[in-house]
Amino acid sequence: MFEHDDDMLTDVTARVAASLKAAVRLDPALDARVMAQVATLPAHRPGGPLGRAWTWLRRPRTVALSPLAGLAAAAGVAAIVFVAARFGSTAATPPAGGDRTPVEFLLVAPRAASVMLVGDFNDWTASATPLHTAAAGGLWAVTVPLAPGRYRYAFVVDGKRWQPDPSAPPAPDDEFGSPSSVVTVGGSL
Amino acid sequence: MGIGEGMSKDAELVRRVLAGDAAAYGGLVAHYRDRLARYAVRMLGDRGDAEEAVQDAFVRAYRSLPRCDDPQRFGPWLFGILVNRCRTSYARRARRERVVLHDEPASLVAAVSSTAERLEWEAEIAWALARLDPLYREAFLLRHVEDLSYDEMATLTGAGVSALKMRVLRACERLRVLLKETDRV
Repeated sequence: MFEHDDDMLTDVTARVAASLKAAVRLDPALDARVMAQVATLPAHRPGGPLGRAWTWLRRPRTVALSPLAGLAAAAGVAAIVFVAARFGSTAATPPAGGDRTPVEFLLVAPRAASVMLVGDFNDWTASATPLHTAAAGGLWAVTVPLAPGRYRYAFVVDGKRWQPDPSAPPAPDDEFGSPSSVVTVGGSL
Repeated sequence: MGIGEGMSKDAELVRRVLAGDAAAYGGLVAHYRDRLARYAVRMLGDRGDAEEAVQDAFVRAYRSLPRCDDPQRFGPWLFGILVNRCRTSYARRARRERVVLHDEPASLVAAVSSTAERLEWEAEIAWALARLDPLYREAFLLRHVEDLSYDEMATLTGAGVSALKMRVLRACERLRVLLKETDRV
């Protein structure tokens, strides 16, 4: 059905595409605004212990196993998956106590007058966790110490506009009817 | 991929940024700004929203740079962040405004009726593009404006190749019908 899809551009749609390919210029100060925001963020550091561990974990490697060893490894993986599913943190609410990790929430909203963070960790209270403008260009930020767990959250812009985090995974089956995002602390995102 | 010319230069800049040289990120911003701007403006139809989306995509890419598995493919990776950001922006605006569309193409055309023929044509295209389903518009722009292959589009959007081909096909058909309404074709 689609074998000729590349030929589907008629004269009309080809003209449309050609017109849309014309360059678009945005505010020349955009670069400076981006770099001003970048300057407020921690610089990347090579070779930290976490970075080295992450690099090591991601490195492709070949493992040779005998059939018996393969069965044993499979059983081990299954056990880990079972334990994680049985006891792993899937609750939307943070566990009480335990070590807390500072988690930074960022939103770029140049035209916003206020931005609040709402989520499982503050009972979705719109006045509890305001973000602050960290630099010119509309970068809003707040750091919240969170115990290990999985949290749903969203931003409230100007007291009325509900906005999920564009860079985070969306929260499934949100009973509130408004989109929210998910952050996992102390586990894989 | 069409996105990512100068990949070895990108890889070098990414390596410098990851080594702590934040200023090197300026080279990546300068390289990709116009490409991202074009897509965001065409997709969102609003310069303010597009600037916000592009700026946000660059900042998020910087923060997530250690997760860019292949520095040579920084361009496609960055573009994927922008595509998702535009989807979020559009969905948010659609909820806010319930998608206010002009039913009369003449209203847009009238705004530029005294200008050159080219501007009138561009206004009609913008009007027609805004009336496309966002998924169709996204597919059309990625395929025929950004010149991506279907495999590349599938990687960026998470949709299957067949679904993307269908979206492009329907976008083309719809554009033809809409532009016919303006008696331009």
